[in-house]
Amino acid sequence: MPAVASSKVKRASKAGQARRPSRKTPARSRTLNDALAEAAWAEADAALAEALADLDEVEGAETAAARRTALAMLAQSLARAGRKRGLTRIGEVGGKAAYSAAAHELAVPAKRAPKRVVISARGVARGGAVLAKPRVKPATRGKKPGRKKKP
Amino acid sequence: MTEWTLCLDFGTAYSKAAAAPTGAWARFDPATVRPLMLAGEEAETNPFLLESAVFVDDQQVLFGSAAVQRADQFSGGKRRALRSFKTLLSVSDLDRALATNVPGSIDPHRLFQMRDLIVLYLAYLLAAINRAAGQDGDISQATGLKVRYAAPAWRDADSAGTHASILRLFGEAEALRNALGKKLLSPEGLSMALVTKAVPKAMAAPEPLEMSLIFEAPAAAAYTSIGLRDAGSHFIVVDMGAGTTDIAGLVRDRDGIQELADARYTLKQAGDFLDGIIANRVLKAASWARGTEAQTALWAMLMRQMADVKETLFAEGRVSIRAQGRGVTVAMRDIERDQDFREFIKTLEHAYEHSIAVVRGDALVRGRAEVEAIAVGGGAAAPFIQALVKQKYRGKPRVTARPATPDWAHAPVFAGNLAPVFPQLAIAIGGALAPDEMLAVNGGGVRRLAAGRNDTQAARD
Repeated sequence: MPAVASSKVKRASKAGQARRPSRKTPARSRTLNDALAEAAWAEADAALAEALADLDEVEGAETAAARRTALAMLAQSLARAGRKRGLTRIGEVGGKAAYSAAAHELAVPAKRAPKRVVISARGVARGGAVLAKPRVKPATRGKKPGRKKKP
Repeated sequence: MTEWTLCLDFGTAYSKAAAAPTGAWARFDPATVRPLMLAGEEAETNPFLLESAVFVDDQQVLFGSAAVQRADQFSGGKRRALRSFKTLLSVSDLDRALATNVPGSIDPHRLFQMRDLIVLYLAYLLAAINRAAGQDGDISQATGLKVRYAAPAWRDADSAGTHASILRLFGEAEALRNALGKKLLSPEGLSMALVTKAVPKAMAAPEPLEMSLIFEAPAAAAYTSIGLRDAGSHFIVVDMGAGTTDIAGLVRDRDGIQELADARYTLKQAGDFLDGIIANRVLKAASWARGTEAQTALWAMLMRQMADVKETLFAEGRVSIRAQGRGVTVAMRDIERDQDFREFIKTLEHAYEHSIAVVRGDALVRGRAEVEAIAVGGGAAAPFIQALVKQKYRGKPRVTARPATPDWAHAPVFAGNLAPVFPQLAIAIGGALAPDEMLAVNGGGVRRLAAGRNDTQAARD
């Protein structure tokens, strides 16, 4: 605002005042990033708090129907918290891919690295960083995961 | 030392501000983009969002989150905070609206007109901006600060005339800020005695302020296309806010940015309309909530949680809600069955088809190969809005949907922290980054009026 501008014009025009070195930049960036992270967390906190309460509901459910409802609420709260933090999922459950030790986490131990795998749990990323690799199982030829064989 | 440009954005619920070095458009570096912590670095909630609220209490006038918290202590709507300045500031006859008396539910003392409370809030906003700018190492050392404000396209109004009224309001607010200083930011608010003494004085002797005006659609085009090698010349912007859904067609050339008047549509159905449909669907599905009292309680709870309800509904296609110890689930397909919703979608699709035809036609005439489609506002993530902007068309010019959060917001310098909050800060950031040619009104003089605009072309009640 003008108050900032005018006072800064005066400050800038002081004779002999050296330009500040750039050593402050990293600290400034960190402060802004911290604040941005806090802002995203503030949005996610409520959803995470809901998820914790939902977890109690799941554990205390007395009927299968109540448990299903509570699980759905828990999944929804966790997914919302993740989105508020900018988390994205990697892959699709049941999707097949060529196995890569760098990109996948084998959900079951195997003596030899499988050539093809099927995703059993999606991974999680934020920005360009992978926070959790997709969990995979060796793909079985001809068998589609998640579908029952016809009798 | 650098000159900086700051843009403030009155959201319906929150005000935001962001700054960038002047000339950022020509030499863009994401690291220089600076959202401002208007709510203060110590804020327990999102420090970049300043609640747009004023509450007239018995002995004080409260602002921001303090105003909202105090208003929440009253039930039944007998006492309310004044909110939605944005709506008021975009009415056709602003001066007349400002001269109206404030309802008794907002001002039980019957002391204030709308103008008084708006000036008080703007003084609070200016104080918050000044504090935030002063705390930033770069902005506080700037050789100068250009200030802009973002606004929706004025409807049925002369832009220059409205801008002059807004400038006058800011001038009065600046005089009030100078008189009251840091007291404005006190969580305890201002005493009634101080307010009734200081406001008339400030109004009698406003401090002239130079501010520019940027419309929200060009601001969206700015943050979308900045830094892109293939930044387009033509844009179609779909902005679904709380009160209206606006479609605007923009063309950028050497002289600046101008709106294609024939492409403009304003629909009166938007976020609030959708809220009503969702709430009614939930009420219908909640068989256990019978009777006026139970339904009123459920409706009130839904409205408090509506932002989260819509976020989940749009992202997952369904949302489960827990109320009064029970759960109820509503799917997007339930909403799509609603007759009012279907009519809205039909009108929206018709409006978009007409707009995109105008924009593509202009691009074709100018020999351009691409139109960029952008969704902004609270409804940007809605599947039916995304379906519109992602629609493919045969032949040239092609239409390319740009993401609501631009790729540069994922730059490593932000360590993944800007993208989650970007949609809320987008217009302020775009307004700070936009070159002068994108302004509606530049500084004290009119640079580019929206004279070519048509009034609302399609408006349905």
